[in-house]
Amino acid sequence: MGVTRRQLLWAGAGIGAAGALAACSSGKGGSTDTAASGSASEQPRSGGTLKVGALGKASAVTRDPHGTQANESDYLILSLVYDTLTVPGDRTNTAPRLAAGWKPSEDLKTWRFTVADGAKFHDGTPVTADDVVWSLKRLRATPSGASRLPGIKPEGITAEDARTVVLVSDYANADLPLLTRLTTFVLKKGTGDDAIATAPGTGPFKLDWFRDGNARLVRNDDWYGGKVLLDAVEVSIFESPQAMANALLAGQIDVASNVGAVAARTAEARKDVQILRRPNDMAMPIVMRTADGPFADPRVREALRLAVDRDAMVKQVLSGYGTVGNDVLGTGDPAFAKDLPQRRRDLDKARQLLAEAGFDSAKTYDLLTTEDISGLAESATLFATQVREAGVKINVVKQDSKIFWDASWLKAPLYTTYWGTNDSVVFFASKTMVSESGQNEAGWKEPSFDEAYRKALGTADTAERATALHRLQEIEYAKSGYLLWGMADGIDLAGAPVRNLPRLPGYGRVQLEKTWLAR
Amino acid sequence: MAGPLIPAPAARGAGAPRAQSGPARILPGAGRAAWLVLRRLGMLTLLLAAVFAAIEVLPGDAANATSERGESAADMVARRAALGLDRPVAERFGTWMTGLPTGDLGTTAHGQPVTTVLAGPFPNTLLLGTLALALSIAGALALGSWAALRPGGRVDRTVAATATAAFALPEFVVSIALLLVFSLWTGWLPAVTLTGPDGAPASWDMLVLPLLALAVPQIGWNTRIVRGALADQAALPHVRAAVLDGLTRRRILSHHMLPGALPAIAVGTATSAGMLLGGAVVVETLFNYPGVGAVLAGAITDRDTPLVAGVVAVTGAAISTLLLLADLVRDRTLGGRP
Repeated sequence: MGVTRRQLLWAGAGIGAAGALAACSSGKGGSTDTAASGSASEQPRSGGTLKVGALGKASAVTRDPHGTQANESDYLILSLVYDTLTVPGDRTNTAPRLAAGWKPSEDLKTWRFTVADGAKFHDGTPVTADDVVWSLKRLRATPSGASRLPGIKPEGITAEDARTVVLVSDYANADLPLLTRLTTFVLKKGTGDDAIATAPGTGPFKLDWFRDGNARLVRNDDWYGGKVLLDAVEVSIFESPQAMANALLAGQIDVASNVGAVAARTAEARKDVQILRRPNDMAMPIVMRTADGPFADPRVREALRLAVDRDAMVKQVLSGYGTVGNDVLGTGDPAFAKDLPQRRRDLDKARQLLAEAGFDSAKTYDLLTTEDISGLAESATLFATQVREAGVKINVVKQDSKIFWDASWLKAPLYTTYWGTNDSVVFFASKTMVSESGQNEAGWKEPSFDEAYRKALGTADTAERATALHRLQEIEYAKSGYLLWGMADGIDLAGAPVRNLPRLPGYGRVQLEKTWLAR
Repeated sequence: MAGPLIPAPAARGAGAPRAQSGPARILPGAGRAAWLVLRRLGMLTLLLAAVFAAIEVLPGDAANATSERGESAADMVARRAALGLDRPVAERFGTWMTGLPTGDLGTTAHGQPVTTVLAGPFPNTLLLGTLALALSIAGALALGSWAALRPGGRVDRTVAATATAAFALPEFVVSIALLLVFSLWTGWLPAVTLTGPDGAPASWDMLVLPLLALAVPQIGWNTRIVRGALADQAALPHVRAAVLDGLTRRRILSHHMLPGALPAIAVGTATSAGMLLGGAVVVETLFNYPGVGAVLAGAITDRDTPLVAGVVAVTGAAISTLLLLADLVRDRTLGGRP
């Protein structure tokens, strides 16, 4: 009957709403799961109510589109009611949404976004550039505003005419539209904080009711983005992935969103349940500090990269729901360098490199980790076992999440991290690897990398840019502080009639306007 | 809350000197009730102070628990100030307590009024808790009486063993067994609770499994109390006399044994209320029941002191009311006697 007691006992182990930062890039597509997209003979059908379960904590429910969305359930509801300027795309990192198009200036510092034709709020008022400017400034004024719109000052957000929004960046940024995919939800200009809960959006669905993190949304027949298929979407908030999986198995919901590998194994025996995998969903690399300490020597880092058994990691830590990584972050990006040779386990080479570097094999090194998301602490333990064979003694230290983020993250010589998004190569470079980046997890400073990064960001020419991006990844592959052993799939469970759920990684899963029900 | 505090038989035995606290002798009637109320309020205040202190001791604080990755140190300082975390814990406790009489429970770390966050969940938990309490009392009375009327017999021994086993089972084990049997295997009942537009469970049958999961261990607990209290009564002369008079078992039970056992049962029930609310945290999560248990679990993770204190205040008030009622029942039953 699918659910064993042991699996049920694991309930709550993987609540882990992924890091609040999110967004994503285009997936590789090409899933083998035909049920998800519907067979070729099936015509998309209009109508029906889709019941979706999404993770969230009742204590952290927020209605503010620009607030901190710790709950996936809240993010889902907001994304159905409001639109962002751009969204993650199928074939490109960034696809149009409320912004129908965008154009940079020659120096790539000034970007003009055009509001989509026919875009209007749920109360019928047309969307103007003023509304967008007001919303972006509101977003910028939040505590995390600077990291949500990096490089854009409040005064750099202006309206040129009724339909054109101008964003001015402090530096040349060929990937600026990428920044507008995440929480650039647009509200009506001047919406008061007390009116947020009922403020009209522009999205494919209108709010029918909201209660304690649960909501019912109905189709917006007037949506500028095209025909919406579902009559309604009902979102239920779930504290535990296991309760959500049970709800799906009992037929109470149609989709259990981001429910995880444990639930997928549970559901494997059930023919009436679709297991949908979104590749490249979550990176959980091991960070080796490059600035100082035992891993500052690139030969030591290379040795650890060769000591890890990536296949075993994916198989055991991710239950096989994932793919092997190659130490470069941004695996879902179309610009990802697939031609770099895949690193495989080579213990002899690893031992040799350690000896050359004069690595102290007598010592035991702490690997710090948390249990924030399922599999993270397990990855540390398995890694420690594997590298022991190369002569590196590692002691895994599990820390309370709060202590970890406060004291170990960005500071410790060796720790695990995770990114609940598989964003572009440039995203990771700018957030975590450029010398001056605010979240330089490994304390990495590499002039040649910085140069390649600036070249990539400052170049409009596609081919030249691609060359720079490739160069950037070669350096990252060779020297960075990351050991990316694999990528976890995002896993949704869905009932038999559900068709065409979004397959993009990270928060790409929230666009439900093309989803339909074959019943 | 207190552990298994069954009053010693001597205190209830006829003619035995009754342990009496000082003020109760001095204050008759209403005064005594007021004293009991004051005592409960004092306990609640101490409990709330302990909550503030406990969350202060936990690593991390609400500011970094509710921040996004990538917020700068300056953002964090601003967030701390906005949440009032830069003030000493005693001062925050004082401010929070002064708001309490006006019904202001403060603001959560996510910026919502605590009362708003609890408005939906608290009635749901009360509903579940009250039903579970009623069910466990009814079940315990039936089982306890059934066993007490056949002292030493097979029924008595079976009930005693089953009750102990039921009480020993943690709620999550009961929950999982119920889920497997009644939902995933047979499909008779919904596996989880979904919430309707009014914030209450969308249909009544969603209450059944959480209710049973909570009630079963408490039925075990209370059955033992009822059985024990009835055994004490059975040893008393007036019950023996009734037996010798040839009264029916049912009449002896209802007129001669149960009235005397009432104080012990009331205390057992009040203790159950506390344990029910404790179990609710687990049961509500497993069944996705929209109650304060789920809110509390998340609030502790977020170090959200006002919200944790809010949950403790409302549930503490509910339990205190029950304890008070139990006190009054005991007082009424025993208070008249010398």
